[in-house]
Amino acid sequence: MEGLSAFVLAIILVGLGLWTLIERRNVIWKLLGLNVASGGAILFLVAVAYRPQARPALLGLGPGPTADPLPQALVLTAIVIHFATLALALAYVIFLTEHRHTQDIHKLEREEE
Amino acid sequence: MKWVARTAILALLSLVAVGTRHLFPRPDVAPWQEPTAQYGAENAVAAIVLGARLWDTLLEVLVYALAIAGVKMALGGLGRARPLPPVPETPLLRRSADILLGPIVILSLYIAASGHLGPGGGFPAGAILGSGLLLLALAKGVERLSQELHEATWERSEYGAIAALLALGGAFLCLGFPGSSFLVSANLLITMEVAIGAWVVLHYFARARGEV
Repeated sequence: MEGLSAFVLAIILVGLGLWTLIERRNVIWKLLGLNVASGGAILFLVAVAYRPQARPALLGLGPGPTADPLPQALVLTAIVIHFATLALALAYVIFLTEHRHTQDIHKLEREEE
Repeated sequence: MKWVARTAILALLSLVAVGTRHLFPRPDVAPWQEPTAQYGAENAVAAIVLGARLWDTLLEVLVYALAIAGVKMALGGLGRARPLPPVPETPLLRRSADILLGPIVILSLYIAASGHLGPGGGFPAGAILGSGLLLLALAKGVERLSQELHEATWERSEYGAIAALLALGGAFLCLGFPGSSFLVSANLLITMEVAIGAWVVLHYFARARGEV
């Protein structure tokens, strides 16, 4: 069961992030929770790629077990997309704050009604 | 209704926690040496990102460009004509930016150009170059840096980089892979695209606020 602690930490991070996502009323806090949950998912993928006593997946480093390169490639995609979508979401939060002067979703819902 | 969401999250997390025991004992990694060498790379991650999963990377670059364009649309229409406060130029930031900027640019170019031979690649190199631009913006002020950099030309060259990357990737998906020359050029194009995108996000956010 080597490397179990990374899985535990990843699941705790995802739980904390999703909990913040549904409990907080401020939009920016919700985005921060989503950010933490995404970090947990990334940590989970990196922990899947781990092998005991492994070296990085590079040619010419000698024999022995290597880490799994496929989840690492997935993580690369996830990080970049995460950065771009978070920037887009924050830009819309700025837009919302300029036009509605609040970031509280309860107030926003009441204004919509 | 919130208890439904809470119960769903707890159930989902316990499902994942129970499912992780199937990951032990760790399965052996399938041999990746031959396919990696066939794509002309030594780094297996680069061979996957720019070889076996090239479609994924091309569409990822498109998603990135779309998100950056969305940031421009959302913040460009705000139309704040508020006069910017003068930037306090501290000599410490200015000197450290002067000293650090050259090494940062060279490091990012090195990481992009040697990304298929070792740890690195286009995306980390673009992030490094973008953070170098952030350092320069902290020292000089965003608006002044944007004027000095001719930002309109940069944005056009970002779209040019994306078009070149899509054309290169599409051509090599149809014709087969020529080897490491494609990996180097694709990594350099991705670096350019990611760095300019990060700079555009920084500039529009700073302008919506006033200054860095």
